[in-house]
Amino acid sequence: MVVSLLLALPAAAGLWLVTAGRATPPRLARPLAAASALGTAVLAVLVLVTGSQVDRAWLPELGLRWSFAADGISAPLLLLTAGIGLVVTAHAWVELPPGGSPAGYLGCLLLVETGALATFTARDAVLFLVAFEVVLVPMWVLVGRYGDRRDPRARADAAGRFVLYTAAGSSTLLVGILLLVVSTGTADLRELADGAGAALGPGRQLAVALLLVLGLAVKVPVLPLHTWLPPAHTTAPTAGSVLLAAVLLKMGTYGLVRLPLATVPDGFGRLAPVLAVAGAVGVVWGGLVCLVERDLKRLVAYSSVAHMGFVVLALASGSETGVQAALLANVAHGLVAALLFVLVGGLKQRWGSVDLAVRRPALRETSPRLGLALVVGLAASLGLPGLATFWGELLALYSAWAPAGDRPRGVFVAAAVLAAVGAALAAAYALRVAGLVWAGDRPAADAGTGTDAVGVERWVLVTLAGAVVVLGVAPMLVLSSTADAVAGLGGLR
Amino acid sequence: MSPWLLVAVPALASLVGVVVRREDRWAGAVAVLAGGLTLLLAGIAWVLEPGSTAGHVLDLPVGGLDLPLATATDPARLAVATVVALVALAVQAYSTWYLGADDRYGQFAATVSLFTAAMLLVVVSADLVLTLVGWEVMGWCSYLLIGHWSRRPEARRAALKAFLVTRVADIGFVLGVVGFVAGAGTSGLSGVVGAWREPTGCLQEQLAAGAPLPEALGACDAPDGRARTVLLVLLVVGVLGKSAQVPFQDWLPDAMEGPTPASALIHAATMVAAGTVVLAGLHPLLADSPTARWVLGVAVSVSMLLAAVLAFAQSDLKRMLAWSTVSQVGVMLSAVAAAPPADGPDAGLLHLWSHALFKSLLFLALGWAAVAAGGTAAVRMRGSASATPVLRAALLVGFLSLAGVPLVVGGVSKEHVLAAAYDGAVAGDGPGVLVLVALVLTSAATAAYATRGYLLLTAHRRDRPRAGTVTPAAPAVLWALTGASVLGGLVVLTGSFALHQVSLLWLVLTVLVVGVGVALALVGGLDRDPAEVLARRLVPYADRGLGVDGLYRRVVARPVLRLARVVAYVDTEVVDGYVRGTALATRAAGWLGSRLHRGERSSTAVGLVVGGALLLGAVGVLGWS
Repeated sequence: MVVSLLLALPAAAGLWLVTAGRATPPRLARPLAAASALGTAVLAVLVLVTGSQVDRAWLPELGLRWSFAADGISAPLLLLTAGIGLVVTAHAWVELPPGGSPAGYLGCLLLVETGALATFTARDAVLFLVAFEVVLVPMWVLVGRYGDRRDPRARADAAGRFVLYTAAGSSTLLVGILLLVVSTGTADLRELADGAGAALGPGRQLAVALLLVLGLAVKVPVLPLHTWLPPAHTTAPTAGSVLLAAVLLKMGTYGLVRLPLATVPDGFGRLAPVLAVAGAVGVVWGGLVCLVERDLKRLVAYSSVAHMGFVVLALASGSETGVQAALLANVAHGLVAALLFVLVGGLKQRWGSVDLAVRRPALRETSPRLGLALVVGLAASLGLPGLATFWGELLALYSAWAPAGDRPRGVFVAAAVLAAVGAALAAAYALRVAGLVWAGDRPAADAGTGTDAVGVERWVLVTLAGAVVVLGVAPMLVLSSTADAVAGLGGLR
Repeated sequence: MSPWLLVAVPALASLVGVVVRREDRWAGAVAVLAGGLTLLLAGIAWVLEPGSTAGHVLDLPVGGLDLPLATATDPARLAVATVVALVALAVQAYSTWYLGADDRYGQFAATVSLFTAAMLLVVVSADLVLTLVGWEVMGWCSYLLIGHWSRRPEARRAALKAFLVTRVADIGFVLGVVGFVAGAGTSGLSGVVGAWREPTGCLQEQLAAGAPLPEALGACDAPDGRARTVLLVLLVVGVLGKSAQVPFQDWLPDAMEGPTPASALIHAATMVAAGTVVLAGLHPLLADSPTARWVLGVAVSVSMLLAAVLAFAQSDLKRMLAWSTVSQVGVMLSAVAAAPPADGPDAGLLHLWSHALFKSLLFLALGWAAVAAGGTAAVRMRGSASATPVLRAALLVGFLSLAGVPLVVGGVSKEHVLAAAYDGAVAGDGPGVLVLVALVLTSAATAAYATRGYLLLTAHRRDRPRAGTVTPAAPAVLWALTGASVLGGLVVLTGSFALHQVSLLWLVLTVLVVGVGVALALVGGLDRDPAEVLARRLVPYADRGLGVDGLYRRVVARPVLRLARVVAYVDTEVVDGYVRGTALATRAAGWLGSRLHRGERSSTAVGLVVGGALLLGAVGVLGWS
């Protein structure tokens, strides 16, 4: 019951805001959106506390069920999504992007949140796909309509590319899911995970795994399927970028755990070496691009590619530790990316652009609060212990060094070494940004006084930075939640 | 008492310090009080808990991996913790004067507290992952401290360089930790040492049987002899980076751009010395692996001698102390590298203890003298300490200790290091002989530059130099550290460090070697700068650290940046090119379709439908079969 409410509340509020309530002035729309996000967050906590679930026949002719519930694997992501929902709706007080009605914008944010919550709670493979797809449309509107005003063509290109690229991925995913469902005769994710692909022959397992992995890899994104991400991130309004990085990419990795890894473990195992290498190369690749990228927002986007590389590497290792590491790194990246995008969005609002080649006053001197938040974000980005990313990425290296027994160990050790080198690159690009933006490597001639973060922006930054520290000091918050659920996944060794 | 307290107090102090950073008075009070409390706790623990104790365990299982996150204390660790806390307190108290007028004093004090917490974590950690946590946090704090005066471009560059050089070396450290933990299935130090103590010869057998390396790796996941050697070497590489040993040495002299109290902290008791603590913990494994000992032994032998020579020829006295740190940390690590299994690594830890005392004393005294003189160049600082008794006393004791004169703290520890190296040389399976030779030569060179430093700083000047205005904190700190440097050698009587008896022979030898060094420095008389007399031509090269900075740029930085540009180009033009190509092809197909569709002949449409049906059918058949 509660889980239905969890989905219904943001869906209803979002739908009303984009349709009948389009003309609602910001004065009313903002509190409404924030209140629904708050209500959703409370409901998310309630769902986890009560263990609420719903399971009804949906399309009996096709054997599809309307089935939602949360378990240990989805719990951290559910909380992350609800929290980020709060952050983005609160951020509307800082920035309301032009391009359409403010109410429509807020409605789109809530609809994306709804889709993500549904994705993380769906217990039916087809339902998962539907929820996965629902997110695309409001996100497309956010990028295409409310995105960066300066270049309409780039905006249209980024939005079109995002929607077509990820829709192509989803079509592959759809074929994979249909093949899986037809082969096993059930669409229930728990039954599928319990069966662990035993009903499928090795060839069929591989085919299903390939289709599922390909489809989900676009969303994660895994190198070389990542080129939709930087333009989408760069163009999207701040809240859109935050949702993209903190929620949408997580749907990809979550899908990898739920679908190929759990349902066709043997087929996934055969693809794992490729995935591991792609992940490790992604870490290095993203790090290298960040060393020379000029646009700060694009740079953060590429750093996402690098961080998701660690997640993919850990998943590919196929061990329990690996999946735990992946889920932890996933949540950690969500927080860190959200922090960085809020910051960069704020800088873009102040400076007009975030071109690193332009001389600007040192943030440390002009806006100490923004500076401190930036330092926390960058330190987390380079994997500093005590901040969120450290544990996930260290455990990812560990799981690659000691992968599941059926994985080719040589390949995985090589991938671990590559990823470790990539981690050093992360230090290089994080300090490059720190030097240019924070410490003042390229100072402006007249160091004007910038406006520091105040009000909502300040509290959003404090909350996100605080969460990054808390998760870094106490990784067990996530690990203890995922432990039992991961141990229960079939096909892990 | 839980060792966690030692970490928690300074960590909390840094947290509170960040909150009250705008109020200098509060920030200073929090930092100094927390420093005092930490010292008190460490001292009490050291005195009252004679045996070894395992600390509280925060068990964190992650799948098949066990992360006990355990701490442990034994007398040697607690002695080191005490000296760390002492130096940290001295630095905090001294900073209230030195950075009293700085507009970012609050941040500085909070960072120093965090730095202390991280070092204490490394000291009491009995868990490789915890060690890594402290290790990396120290690196980050060093970035913040060295770059404290970030309005100066040199400080920004030095901070960046320090962090990047050590982080690159840390690739080895991280992989070493991961590998050891993976082999043992636990990150607890005792578990790791236990699992890797008796390695198998699996890899060797597999390779001998003709299996390629990847397959052999797959077959051998148990602790293996060869893998152990590789992992130890990787760890040693990380240690060499943090400890500024060859080939990573060049970040340390540049780090002199940081405020002097930060230098005192980084050099004396924390970051650079941490490697000794880590390797001491792994000594049972290290002592059993000649390859790793040789790698370490060669690197530190080269480092200590090279750095001592470069220190002698520096035209900047603060940089002289920096190079002296490189050299002295080499001495610490040499004891770990050379000591045979029976001796244990405690001679190195003893030298850590004594170096912490005299090096912090020297840095803080020099910092005061530099403020009085208005710079750190040798020419400018000439005689700057001559008029202030506390500075003269501090510098005398500090330089005597540095030179290794018997009975003061530096002399006591150096004799033990020499004895350990001699034992290693006699035992014969490690780099003992090499290390022993390097140690003797280094001792002479050290005595020479210590003499030079003292002569220059206390030289007689006709115009009476000003002492500068100081708050009482500065002289109090210096007197305390001077006393500790004189009496600190008595620590060997407490039995905290497991040391062998040192015969009188070593005392005589040390006196002899030091005498040679001092005599060398005095060749040109008391009034001339010995570097000008003996090494005039070396000075410009020594000031640039032999141009290693350029080497780093040419060998690492530029190729990486070039690669990055290539990758960025490939990313937008090639990888994305396929995506754009797909879009283009789709559009072309659409155009073609619409053209064909508009054609008059209905056969075209029929053809299209039939073709499409055939295609679908083929896909269906292939997919189903």
